[in-house]
Amino acid sequence: MRMRNVFLVMALVTSAFFAGCAKKQDASERVLNVVSAAEIKGFDPIMADDLYSGREIAKIYEGLLAYHWLKMPYELIPNLAESMPEVSKDGITYTFKIKKGIVFQDDAAFPGGKGREIEAADFVYSIKRLADSKNQATGWWILDGKLKGLNEWRAKNEKLPAANYDEEVVGLKAIDKHTLQFQLAKPFPQFLYALAMGFTSVVSKEVVAKYGKEFINHPVGTGPYVLPKFDQGKRITYTKNPTFREKFYPSDASPEFQHLLADAGKKLPLIDKIVVHVMVESQPAWLKFGKGEVDYFGVPKDNFATAVKDNKLSDDLVNKGITLTISPQLDVTYTSFNYDNKLFHNTNLRRAMYLAYDEKKANELFYNNTAFPAQSITPPGIAGNVTTYKNQWKGPNLELAKKTLALAGYPEGKGLPEIIYDIPDSTTSRQMGEYFQKQMKQIGIKIKISASPWPEFQAKLKKRSGQMFGIAWGADYPDAENFLQLFYGPNSAPGANSTNYNNPQYNKDFEAAVKMQDSPARTALYEKLNQYLAEEAVSLFGVHRQAYTLQHGWLRNYRAGDLHHDSLQYLNIDSAKKEELLKKF
Amino acid sequence: MNLYSYIFRRLLYVVPVLLGVCLIIFVIFNVVAPDPAFILLGRHATIEQIATLHRELGMDRPFIVQYIDIVKSAFTFDFGYSWSSKQQIWEMIKAGAGPSLTITLPLFILSNVLSISIALLVAFYRGKLIDKVVLLVSIAMMSIPSLAYILFGQWFFAAYLGWFEIAGYEPGFPNFIPYTLLPVLLYVAISWGPETRFYRSVILDEVYQDYVRTARAKGVSELSVMFKHVLKNAMIPILTQIILQIPFLILGLLLAESFFSIPGLGGIIIKAINTSDFPVIKAMTILSAIGFILFGVITDVLYTVVDPRMRLK
Repeated sequence: MRMRNVFLVMALVTSAFFAGCAKKQDASERVLNVVSAAEIKGFDPIMADDLYSGREIAKIYEGLLAYHWLKMPYELIPNLAESMPEVSKDGITYTFKIKKGIVFQDDAAFPGGKGREIEAADFVYSIKRLADSKNQATGWWILDGKLKGLNEWRAKNEKLPAANYDEEVVGLKAIDKHTLQFQLAKPFPQFLYALAMGFTSVVSKEVVAKYGKEFINHPVGTGPYVLPKFDQGKRITYTKNPTFREKFYPSDASPEFQHLLADAGKKLPLIDKIVVHVMVESQPAWLKFGKGEVDYFGVPKDNFATAVKDNKLSDDLVNKGITLTISPQLDVTYTSFNYDNKLFHNTNLRRAMYLAYDEKKANELFYNNTAFPAQSITPPGIAGNVTTYKNQWKGPNLELAKKTLALAGYPEGKGLPEIIYDIPDSTTSRQMGEYFQKQMKQIGIKIKISASPWPEFQAKLKKRSGQMFGIAWGADYPDAENFLQLFYGPNSAPGANSTNYNNPQYNKDFEAAVKMQDSPARTALYEKLNQYLAEEAVSLFGVHRQAYTLQHGWLRNYRAGDLHHDSLQYLNIDSAKKEELLKKF
Repeated sequence: MNLYSYIFRRLLYVVPVLLGVCLIIFVIFNVVAPDPAFILLGRHATIEQIATLHRELGMDRPFIVQYIDIVKSAFTFDFGYSWSSKQQIWEMIKAGAGPSLTITLPLFILSNVLSISIALLVAFYRGKLIDKVVLLVSIAMMSIPSLAYILFGQWFFAAYLGWFEIAGYEPGFPNFIPYTLLPVLLYVAISWGPETRFYRSVILDEVYQDYVRTARAKGVSELSVMFKHVLKNAMIPILTQIILQIPFLILGLLLAESFFSIPGLGGIIIKAINTSDFPVIKAMTILSAIGFILFGVITDVLYTVVDPRMRLK
């Protein structure tokens, strides 16, 4: 009996000791905790070509334009610009007035450590920095060939030991302290989207000069949050920018976002502190969300079945006040051919492969049946996508696939050489590759899988050395041009058109469409191009994925948006509700 | 040969070993590793940009020049900047070594002390029930993959019981303790099985030696036999095992750092491999090689301390 008591006391003491090891959550603390599922490359806007770095940069840096937080379809609004630009009739000249009184965040790079007011010249400098080949900017493509004289400036300065930023560029001028003018080389209505991307954010030349190579780790912008120094660690803590301008939560919203107007008119940002936990593994992040230590989180693939059934949350999650947001992503998965290989010029062969592939089953296997089948390249929500359109070559239809393969000249696959299918080397990609191989085998097509690490996979595409490959594309901006350019001949590898598809008629229609301002005529042309790609089975279009995100009941104003990298300034926390809900955890 | 000449001679071996290591790094980077330009420049990279970057990074220079560059940095310890994070590599190492050591050092001490103690105990009771139980448990524990320990530990001890932090890290003593306790304890459990078995067999090798029988015949107590005679004579393999673990302490624990979000050197190495960040890979490989050589010398010297019959040649 005495021994039992001793054990009991020991067990209690051990429990108490270990319980003390874990930190208790303080519900009154108004801190937003979020997860980044990938390492952050750094804080140089011109290098932020990945989603994760883009989101972090948008907390610190800002550009001329931004997307309205509560409007769908996406709507551009002025950010550092005073208003939307004046555009000349020929669509060549864009003149912006810049908001007055906006200052860079305080930093030792400025005299007395006080951030100075931004000027039109800062935008000129920032864009030249993007164009300066010595900076190896990953975002240069967005302005490549777009502004008058900028490519020439780039080429000329490439040969010099240091680029001459004082040299004037015709298409990029500071007219006065607060007026900025762009002149395009040719009409390009998507240009405005470029000004809402992180790449064109305004940076200060004093800060770039002070930190040199390490500028990437010393972010100083005009945005809602500050980060004194980025140390490439696993926890990034932002605090409210004390010199942030008067910016307010929107007062208007699309019908689907009317319920998010409770904070309308309040000064942004709504939360004083943000902690970003860099967690590459989904399991610990999921557990942290389950404990209320993270405010929102995308449902990991492996936990999907236990958390969500028929688009509804499990009772356990509902009881904790957790809600689910389902939002279509602006992306597409596709399996494509390298058209440098004449074999794939055979339309019936492509159609047969498309017909043999069971996308529905693939959706169940790889996306928990949450994705939309893609009929062509442009995702829903963007002009050019026709929601009622059904691609007649989309499988599974094995009988028709076999007949079409015979029409292609390869009955039961006879005479058809083995096709090499390139995939990135990851578990899911391998599973997808094996699934594709199995599907093609049903009609007698032999597929050999070749998995390579991501850089090598990319190198194969750039060097046009593969035969077939599976890949996904996420929107850079909400315009069908960003998807349709993936099949535009002059964009062939090493450009974004990794298929090397080059059809004169398609190219001609594409060129006509991209010059047009947003209009019914342009939408009709986009639709035509989309349908052409589908009918010709130019690629085997897979799915448009959806994001399934869980939020705790205390988080306010949450909505998902692929292009809203600056979203955290709009989020809010209801501390009383948090305290109440945490009792249920 | 006296101690100092031996150490000097062994340290001279560093030169050919480092030249070899540099050659291996050079071959791996130029033949096997993927081209970093495709990662650094993103999905819109053009051939022109790739060529410019190759030039900027010095990848277009003759092979011999590139190799000499690696050798130079190996002997001057000037590793320059990371290609992807643009940080000075020494700064990265300094920042990552601390968090790595907060896990690996307590783990190193705890697991060795525990394993040697238990190995001595079971060797003392060899063939008895306790020996069989320990053997069975250690084999069972070795059969479980380390990932299973981590996944179960995070879910059960941290999320379900709430005893520990699930993941994360705060620098500075004692802030890091709540974050490092669970990974340390889990890794003690992971390493306990193989280490206990190793130390047990080393000690048992000695237990059956003639000198042990003689000691017992002379009436020396069992405790004294185990600690003064058996343990002392088993020190050579024990020392080798322990000292060669030390370079790994700095390198961190790749899996643990990833799952527990600890900003250590293990994570830096993984990130460098994933991004083909050659200067970081080069620095870590060279430093590891030097670490192994140095600790190899220390082990040899310590052999003569624990066993005076041994001579340095």
